[in-house]
Amino acid sequence: MRNTILTIASVGLAALALYLLSHMQGTSGLLSALTLIFIWGIAAVSLNLINGQLGILSLGHHGFMLIGGYVTALLMLPAKERRPFRTRLLSDWARNDLDLDKWLRGLGLDTIANSVDLKFVIALFLAGLAAAFIGIIVGAPSLRLKGDYLAIVTFGFGEIIRLLPNAPQVAAFTNGPLGIKGIPGNAGSIWWTFVVFLLVIWFFSRLKFSSYGRAFEGIREDEIAAEAMGVGLAYHKVLAFTLSAFFAGVAGGLYASYLQSVDTQTFNFFVTFFLLVAISLGGLGSITGAVLGTAIVILVRIYGGFLEESHTAFVGYISGAAVMLAAFAFSVYIRKSRRLRPVVEPKHYIFGGLGILLLLVALLFQGQPWMTQKVQFFGMRRILLAVILILIMIYRREGLMGRAELAWNKVFGSREDIPSDEQRDQDAWLSNPDLNPGAAKEDDDASA
Amino acid sequence: MPLLELRNIYKAFGGLQAISNVSLNVNEGEIVSIIGPNGAGKSTLFNLITGVYKPDSGDIIFEGKKLNGLTPDQVTKRGVARTFQNLRLFTHLTVLENILIPQHHRLKTGWLGAVLRLPKYLREEEEMRKIALEKLSFFGPRLMSFRLHQPVYVLSYANRRRAEMARAMATGAKLLLLDEPSAGMNPKETKEITQIIRRFRDEGGYTIVVVEHKMNLVGDISDRVIVLDYGEKIAEGDYKDVVNDPKVIEAYLGRKEE
Ligand SMILES: Nc1ncnc2c1ncn2[C@@H]1O[C@H](COP(=O)(O)OP(=O)(O)O)[C@@H](O)[C@H]1O
Ligand SMILES: [Mg+2]
Repeated sequence: MRNTILTIASVGLAALALYLLSHMQGTSGLLSALTLIFIWGIAAVSLNLINGQLGILSLGHHGFMLIGGYVTALLMLPAKERRPFRTRLLSDWARNDLDLDKWLRGLGLDTIANSVDLKFVIALFLAGLAAAFIGIIVGAPSLRLKGDYLAIVTFGFGEIIRLLPNAPQVAAFTNGPLGIKGIPGNAGSIWWTFVVFLLVIWFFSRLKFSSYGRAFEGIREDEIAAEAMGVGLAYHKVLAFTLSAFFAGVAGGLYASYLQSVDTQTFNFFVTFFLLVAISLGGLGSITGAVLGTAIVILVRIYGGFLEESHTAFVGYISGAAVMLAAFAFSVYIRKSRRLRPVVEPKHYIFGGLGILLLLVALLFQGQPWMTQKVQFFGMRRILLAVILILIMIYRREGLMGRAELAWNKVFGSREDIPSDEQRDQDAWLSNPDLNPGAAKEDDDASA
Repeated sequence: MPLLELRNIYKAFGGLQAISNVSLNVNEGEIVSIIGPNGAGKSTLFNLITGVYKPDSGDIIFEGKKLNGLTPDQVTKRGVARTFQNLRLFTHLTVLENILIPQHHRLKTGWLGAVLRLPKYLREEEEMRKIALEKLSFFGPRLMSFRLHQPVYVLSYANRRRAEMARAMATGAKLLLLDEPSAGMNPKETKEITQIIRRFRDEGGYTIVVVEHKMNLVGDISDRVIVLDYGEKIAEGDYKDVVNDPKVIEAYLGRKEE
């Protein structure tokens, strides 16, 4: 009960903050960053169901997002945008009747058809269904495979799906490599993404903490044991794959309508790669972690622009020194908190030494022409992300959150897994009967 | 009618005949021990019964129905559950979660109902928790209270063995196949587990097949002992008769002349 109130309160606060933000001046950059975090957060959380909870490496997520993007685009596209490229179509049905608006009016649902927003909800749902359907078709045969083989097969399917819109027979629907433009954009606004994001988080956390979620995690922990305990592998893998594909489709639809366009490059393999980075960063298996990882990657990308602007070499030296010294401090902190000795590993003196050296060079040659010269590093954001990822993999391989979730009980409640003193005593003599006078005596009797 | 019946089972791995012509019966309510030197094929026999391996020939019949060709999860749903010689718990999950997963196959609510937390699902979940506690209580308080919420990787080896037995029971099986339940336990713990296994049958109503090396445990609990050597059944009967059987002594100690 307390938790429900807290959740509702924080969602309310978030909504209020969004409302204020959207009415302030000069926040459009932040708002679009948030929109992107919500959209890609959905995609990351859905990929996390397979890669994190089920423990299967799937590399075809971009394919499902693409299906969602195209289905949403096709359904939402106004007739006048659609007509030019559909003229090549042989079938009258596809030219004139592939139109959500028309279907809804045909069913007498004019109220829905008149609202772009409601139409968008329906389009998103159908986009999810389409992706889920393809998910079953792809998943059912390939999920028998294990490990690397499955990864390769999913990657192959993902790429096939991605290139399908370019195929001549399909291109008449999808406008081929030119892609589709002019998707009504108000449907991809921050409010839609926010609401869908909340729903998705709700869905996935309910799923994770249900019997099905436990079954998925059992499969991740030990497939043979899970099967021996009655968990049907085929059913549960396909189920997870399909649910994941559904929400990938939804995320794809949201992204397409955020961009107001979609083509086969919108969802290329780097999408899956980016999502993998995000969930590994945040913690495989953690919903909170998936969102956190996505947020970090997106924020670095959007707000890391200054890293790639041109600066004087002096700034470069100083930041190099700062990075080195920070790395030194970080490694000391990690070793200290893990109680490792020596606190400073010899090889880490390299960081410290290099940092001081750079600092000295910068200060000594401050006025020199080669110090005041402007330099520019393209790709610094990527390098920064790569460095973050490497550090995480070295020092915290399970990701920032591990498998844990942010939960109210953890913030406010007591830890159930930590024994009281009394429980600890009892446990001690249970595991070491010699500490228990009663048990020792009984044993003496037996030997007598 | 016996609860479990094996008829002329053969199983080869490449050139190695791991099981040859083994037939045996297990009656309801019995505790049967399978003993034999290392590599005799005891674990392989369990793997054959539970569907991990398919027999090359022969029939496995449980409650009058064939188990041949079923996948391990289907075998478990029919009522045969096992523990593993090399512990296979869900290491990063809590003890409670480990004992809940084997009950998942009995869940009647679909995934959507579970996500929506329908009252029916909540009732089932409650029931699952009750059963989990009931199974864990066989081992006294040591896996209860705070241990329930600890991940398995912090448990001691003996506690993991206990958790695995509780997990097998939680599947709702009638027949438990225990592969070296006392491995890694000290003599006191072994004595205790001997009594507990007997209670599985007396209080829990399970039929039990145990693979064991510790002879005092075998002697204590077995209604019947079956001896395997090089994949063949070389003796069967009372503990006392079996251990005095010259063929069995030979299997364990080698031929006298050599
Ligand atoms: N999957 C397998 N592949 C090849 N050989 C196996 C396999 N499983 C078991 N064996 C072999 O079968 C024989 C019986 O093994 P096992 O049943 O584990 O013996 P134990 O009686 O000690 O439990 C051993 O020689 C073992 O090496
Ligand atoms: Mg064995």
